[in-house]
Amino acid sequence: MATVSPYRQARPDEVNFDDLMRPQVEYLYRLAWRFTGSVADAEDLVQDVLLKLFPRTQEMLGIQKLRPWLARVLYHQYVDSVRQRARSPALELVADTEGEDDPLDTLPSAAAGPEEQVEQSAWRERLVAALGQLNPEQRAVVAMHDVEGYSLEELETMLETPLGTLKSRLHRARQRLRALLPMEPFSGGKRVNP
Amino acid sequence: MKCQDLRSQLDDYLDGKLDERPLQEHLSACPECRRAYQHAQAVQEGLRKLSPPEIHPAFVDRAILRATRPQAVGAHPTRRALIGMALAASLVLGLALGAFFSLRDAPVQTVALAVEKPETVRMVFSSAKPLRAATLSLSLPENVEVVGYAGQRELTWQKDLREGQNLLQLPLIARGAVKDDLLARLSHGSSTKTFRVKFEMAKANAPGT
Repeated sequence: MATVSPYRQARPDEVNFDDLMRPQVEYLYRLAWRFTGSVADAEDLVQDVLLKLFPRTQEMLGIQKLRPWLARVLYHQYVDSVRQRARSPALELVADTEGEDDPLDTLPSAAAGPEEQVEQSAWRERLVAALGQLNPEQRAVVAMHDVEGYSLEELETMLETPLGTLKSRLHRARQRLRALLPMEPFSGGKRVNP
Repeated sequence: MKCQDLRSQLDDYLDGKLDERPLQEHLSACPECRRAYQHAQAVQEGLRKLSPPEIHPAFVDRAILRATRPQAVGAHPTRRALIGMALAASLVLGLALGAFFSLRDAPVQTVALAVEKPETVRMVFSSAKPLRAATLSLSLPENVEVVGYAGQRELTWQKDLREGQNLLQLPLIARGAVKDDLLARLSHGSSTKTFRVKFEMAKANAPGT
């Protein structure tokens, strides 16, 4: 725990919270997006975490390495929210266009870019969709280890999860992703003829 | 090195934890393992390159303000209010919406409702670009209410749409048998699009159906 100056401790929590969290929100958003694959869900997740943390401002003042600590809070919030959401099904709405002049059609879908852009976008969607097939714990370990670069040993401490469990999650997550994603779409991979 | 050794140690190789020399020797002699290893590397690379969309410029201010002074933003509730608060009456004051403008051929979705049992329906709208001040109007069928809006069959909200997926969590409750569809009309500028949600009554809990 870091030593906190009396001056800082005496400031209003709103000021301290702003000082502490403002530099961290973008990081949390990025990580939340990697967990959720959705801007809306990422923002909601970060907002939930901030709401939860504001009453703990004084405690946070004493935390030396705030970012990993925040990542852990975000992770737990993410896992909890996924479990809660599992109880309410997602619904995709479909346009009812019968007999309507449909000027909205010209808005987003008509903005198709060059072929490469379309391919990249399709690949990105497939990757996000494949990540969406993982369970939240697997997805989180992929995001934090494979993307954010935390070692499994660091995650063992951060997430208070045994190393063996993390290794197993990572192994299964990677296997699943490979199974879901054939080789061709990767620009970084070279196609090998059988 | 045998093929089986490579498969069992693949994660450690990907993480750079093992000496690569025996790996490279094996890969040069085994096309099948070479292909599998390249595939695994490509997936890893794809993950690393997968970057989130830029954070919304106003999000940081808004999120901190909402956390520290929720009363100050009470008049401008957002999607977040919907997500964390399940079925509270204040849920529906502000909604974040989008539109599946491009999913024209997908089948109409059906929602199962039981009488007097609240159900939070999550509607995922996807917009290919940000839309400012889009308007969503809901026309509820007879016997369906948005929780907290008893007796109101027509509800309207205005909200900026983000690029990508936008989530609307709509807490609905059936007061009796539901026969008609819910219509959601999304408007932007002079354009309007209508979406349709069908309901299916859970028979065991739906007297009169």
